[in-house]
Amino acid sequence: MHSIGLTPARFRERRGMRGREALWFYIALSVALLVLEFIGSSIPVQVRAYANDIAAPVLTVLERPVRAIQAGLERVAGVSDIYLENQSLRDENGRLREWREAALQLSRENERLRQMLKVPQREVPPAATARVIGVGGGAFERSILINAGSSDGLVRDLPVVDDRGIVGRTIQVGHLTTRVLLVTDLNSRVPVRLERSGELAIAEGQNENFLRLRFLPKGADVKVGDRVLTSGHGGIFPPDLPVGRVTYIDDEFVLLEPLGFLGKLDYVRVMSYVPVPDEDQSLMESPGGGHQ
Amino acid sequence: MSIGRSSPIVSFGIAGFVPLLVSLFMALLMLLPIGSGVANEIMPNLVLISVFYWLSNRPLLMPYGACAVLGLFMDLWLDVPLGLNMLILVLTRLFVLNQLKHYRGRSRFVHWLVFALMSLAMYVLSWIVISGVETTLWPVRPLLLQWLVTAFSYAPVGFVLGRLRRTALR
Repeated sequence: MHSIGLTPARFRERRGMRGREALWFYIALSVALLVLEFIGSSIPVQVRAYANDIAAPVLTVLERPVRAIQAGLERVAGVSDIYLENQSLRDENGRLREWREAALQLSRENERLRQMLKVPQREVPPAATARVIGVGGGAFERSILINAGSSDGLVRDLPVVDDRGIVGRTIQVGHLTTRVLLVTDLNSRVPVRLERSGELAIAEGQNENFLRLRFLPKGADVKVGDRVLTSGHGGIFPPDLPVGRVTYIDDEFVLLEPLGFLGKLDYVRVMSYVPVPDEDQSLMESPGGGHQ
Repeated sequence: MSIGRSSPIVSFGIAGFVPLLVSLFMALLMLLPIGSGVANEIMPNLVLISVFYWLSNRPLLMPYGACAVLGLFMDLWLDVPLGLNMLILVLTRLFVLNQLKHYRGRSRFVHWLVFALMSLAMYVLSWIVISGVETTLWPVRPLLLQWLVTAFSYAPVGFVLGRLRRTALR
């Protein structure tokens, strides 16, 4: 193991020196990388997107048995409740049929009115439906990794939803994978409005399992249980997507429970949302429009 | 830098890479969507446990370079500021190499206690670094929760790693 001509003492001394050099080299390297992050360089973002692509195949393989075990455990746990659940689902199904009829009727009426008033369509087509293959951040960030990327037409800042409401937005897009920043992350801000009163506010993530409502006007009409929807401001989230439900109010805070099932995300839908530009802006950008 | 002609990793053959590969696997395990959305919080820092374990038992098989590479992959995959986990794991090695003489050969409980205290110091450092990089005071509760879960997970994870060590590195 020792190099020829080196005594054990000299060998240990040389190894110790190399160890110290390595220690300082890696400390300097990590500090340099942290400085890059601090000044907001875009290099780490691109590197991360490709690093996720490398992990994706392994995660896809590892994730399957985890899901299978989870599903098996849930099935075993749910056997005792199956008859009660069946009855409850039958009742719910009946109610949903009635709601469906009402919704179809309203939708037809809405469509007719939109055509009469020349209001543009508000349906947002899905860009991709993807499976959650990883979570990230540890205690620092709330994010998930999904198995769709630029090869599926995804780009940055697209809204991501599940069947209950908004989940987050795309932040790093690799070739095969995309990282989604959850609405509960500290860096997440979603412009919202209260469904009942229409008051505008910002739903802010707290790195906890709830959101905080900020910039709500003084004396705003808000009650526990109120639903909160996206307002459509800011250009990332389309209007009227469910965000959360008010769970706590005091003089300082209004807290929301997210409606998206962030606890057990399996599949999510990425929406191909392009906000409708202002009329003045679209005129400026159209051929023949703008400076003449 | 650390894997050279006389590197102990190379002299062990393929088995010499077991600590690094196991720790890398632990990093991937940390990414899996296990349980629920609070998995982000309640998932123990398996890489910190693994690195501490291997450094306490086979320090030459976990050189600074290996700690730095593991830290870099963790930073990339967990989407935390680049350099954060690299710094933490490199400092973990520095700590263990300096303090190992005080707890080597002592009971598992002592190892557990040393790990709990060291990891607490590392989490405090992480909090300071991330608050500095993001220029905002980061919430303490999720970090405290993850530290607690990590500290309590040391015993079972260390037991599994011990079995693996006896099998792979006789």
